[in-house]
Amino acid sequence: MSNQAPSAARGPSADNATFEPRIVAFVCNWCTYTGADLAGTSRIQMASNVRILRLPCTGRIDPLFVMKAFERGADGIIVSGCHPGDCHYIVGNFHARRRFRVFRELLDFLGVDPERITFSWVSASEGGKWAQVVNDTTRRIREMGPMESWPRASTALDDDLHG
Amino acid sequence: MQTRSIKTKELSALLDQLRAAGVEIIAPARAPGVGRAVVYRRVSGFSDIIMGVQPRGTLKEHFLPASERILGWRRGGAHLELLEASTDCAPRIVLGAFPCDAAALEVVDAVMGWDYRDEFWFNRRQATIVVSIACDGGDESCFCHAVGLSPGSTRGADLMFVPVDGGFQVEVTTGRGQAWLEEHQEYFSEAGDSTQAVAFQERATTRSSQRPRPHMESIGRWLKNNFQHDYWDQLALRCHGCGACTMVCPTCHCFDLVDEPEGPEGGSRRRNWDTCQAATFTLHASGHNPRPGQGARYRQRILHKFSIYPARFHELLCTGCGRCSRVCSSGMDMLELLGEIHDMASITEPTTSPEARNEP
Amino acid sequence: MKELQDLARRLLLEGRVDIVIGYQQGPRGVRPSFVTRPEQADALIFDERCVHNLVTYLSPRRAHLAAWPRRAVVVKGCDTRAVAVLLRESHIDREDIVLIGLRCGGVHRSAEASGPLTAESVAFRCADCSIREPELVDHLLGDPRPAPPGNSRLAERIGQLESMSHEQRREFWNNEFSRCIRCHACRQVCPMCYCERCIADKTRPRWIESSAHLRGNTAWNMIRAMHLAGRCVGCGECGRACPVGIPLGLLNRKLAMVVDEHFDYRATDDPEVPGPLGSFRSDDAEEFIV
Ligand code: SF4
Ligand code: SF4
Ligand code: SF4
Ligand code: SF4
Ligand code: SF4
Repeated sequence: MSNQAPSAARGPSADNATFEPRIVAFVCNWCTYTGADLAGTSRIQMASNVRILRLPCTGRIDPLFVMKAFERGADGIIVSGCHPGDCHYIVGNFHARRRFRVFRELLDFLGVDPERITFSWVSASEGGKWAQVVNDTTRRIREMGPMESWPRASTALDDDLHG
Repeated sequence: MQTRSIKTKELSALLDQLRAAGVEIIAPARAPGVGRAVVYRRVSGFSDIIMGVQPRGTLKEHFLPASERILGWRRGGAHLELLEASTDCAPRIVLGAFPCDAAALEVVDAVMGWDYRDEFWFNRRQATIVVSIACDGGDESCFCHAVGLSPGSTRGADLMFVPVDGGFQVEVTTGRGQAWLEEHQEYFSEAGDSTQAVAFQERATTRSSQRPRPHMESIGRWLKNNFQHDYWDQLALRCHGCGACTMVCPTCHCFDLVDEPEGPEGGSRRRNWDTCQAATFTLHASGHNPRPGQGARYRQRILHKFSIYPARFHELLCTGCGRCSRVCSSGMDMLELLGEIHDMASITEPTTSPEARNEP
Repeated sequence: MKELQDLARRLLLEGRVDIVIGYQQGPRGVRPSFVTRPEQADALIFDERCVHNLVTYLSPRRAHLAAWPRRAVVVKGCDTRAVAVLLRESHIDREDIVLIGLRCGGVHRSAEASGPLTAESVAFRCADCSIREPELVDHLLGDPRPAPPGNSRLAERIGQLESMSHEQRREFWNNEFSRCIRCHACRQVCPMCYCERCIADKTRPRWIESSAHLRGNTAWNMIRAMHLAGRCVGCGECGRACPVGIPLGLLNRKLAMVVDEHFDYRATDDPEVPGPLGSFRSDDAEEFIV
């Protein structure tokens, strides 16, 4: 996740056609990561806006990670893991499903559109589905425009709120 | 120094003129948001100001903000560029400081200019004219009268306003205040009859002096001798260690320095309020904590205010504003505990009788 | 009152407990009371100003209470839900504590209030209380009291917020969070915030910036709410302790509504009911998942 000074394409008036969203994908090691790997080795065409972070399990994907990614400039997030019943740790994805239900509702209540987050089940054999998740998310975030509702980290920010 | 007066209408016009001239006005006013508590904040004119209610927040945050950037860094190739935060402060006026809050600024000056001169603090101090407003005597948590101040104390203020019908009597207390008044003299009138102002101040003094007056010198001596005492653990039982008391205290001035990377290109060093009531305040990297429990942490707060600071700077680190007692969700009470220590001190110091603290 | 004082005295005299934690009159309204000697028991009171959730003093984080390991605590019905969470999460042993339950007719939002309860003054959580007579207790004291006046302000405000656009809601919360001074009083009073080392205090890495800027404040308030989702008992202590008056109750109540709607969970005094985020159903709805 880089943190360049805002360029014209990322400014508030960014034209959505030229806006390149930054999307961070948190994926589980066993299913989605392997599925994404398959998509790559199968040379399926996909948007190049997604940077993948691999974790053992969706059960390990803490909303903190999402929060941090938004802080550091992400415009969209993908959380993805094994289909229900296929979790390598048996139940991690069931817990993640509940946790992200609540987190999405919380974001929504705080005024952050939960559509900034895609949650998907992508198995090791679903390279095509991964490409579709990536493309759909990129398209959707591009339409939504840059994430502006999150207080971003930026050295240009000198927000002395209490002055 | 001089005494003058100002009518509400004139004051309002003066504020408009100051604002037009780019002077920032800080005054008690309702905070934005749900709570709508009265705090000291930037206001746009007289109509925003709420006088006569002690603000819940302190004036100190306009001199030592809860969080401020003091240094930045940015990576440029192989170099690391350091960006000093500006310590400049545009001209400001505080209008309507409570006497305990104005006095606190002077109390804290001592430590801010002690072994190192804090430019952020002093530049803000120098850029700010402090106009206080005489207090009507406060509530049951106030004890300015026990720490050498009073509802009409002018310490820390360049001018003090005393409410009278239709406006204020104005007492000039510093040369700076005098110069400022002369600069804007068209808004002020002759002092006139002082009967009302005198009566206001007398009422206030009577009210405040009816409250207990613990004897600070004997409390200080007791504190020196009773670092180890069961009292501390007992006292702190109800304390949550939240530190709200220190955050709202006009004299507490502890801060933490943190470096916050803001991405690979740079980041900021900030200083943030900190509190001795938090366990992390003294936690060592090894995991050892020299103040392991709330008893030790609470003792630190009391010792610093009534023993350590006086030993070093010859004055108490407390102006008796009572905010700590008002804010505490568990009902810890500063005036009560000072009374308890007074009573314990009276056992070893016969001159400090338990009755003495209630004498007006 | 006498009933309560007598019981406290007896528990101490018989050596059943080391300390009785209840309520007493303080210089400013009612406050928690710590009775370690039988003769102090006369200070104990219970009335509609006893808003504090004393279960927080059972939290394992309170190192300075360790010297008094066997504790009796005065609880209202709603407070017993906090006991249930501590039991469910294995942080206390039921045998170590004595719960003195008081029949409750609602409490004021402020411990400094005076006079009878009104719709204006009553604590938000009392509005739809179904647990005014605690069950998870060792002793039940006091006469039955009438139900408190209703108050739906919290629910109304949540409704108002929900009807706004994302931008408007963001603005609302920015306004609130920007006042946060990061004292963490909300955490310190919370009976459910028992972590020895809070995520907000962790520095390697520093997940939640300690600076009181909007970024750090948003992170803190969001993660605090998240960590309390399905665990919060709605006691409102966090909001009461907040020195700058951030309406934390709105966040907590909203998430309570979410876990109710989606996981059929409501804060309960039954320690056997699993927490909604510590459990799952294999058929939980997943329409938001592709
Ligand atoms: S005295 Fe009160 S406000 Fe201060 S740390 Fe303790 S509980 Fe918090
Ligand atoms: S210690 Fe309490 S009474 Fe003294 S200055 Fe601080 S807040 Fe005011
Ligand atoms: S009382 Fe505590 S927070 Fe206040 S100045 Fe002293 S050490 Fe710092
Ligand atoms: S989050 Fe607030 S309302 Fe919920 S249990 Fe903790 S203190 Fe009580
Ligand atoms: S109590 Fe209020 S001001 Fe303090 S950290 Fe919590 S939300 Fe922020």
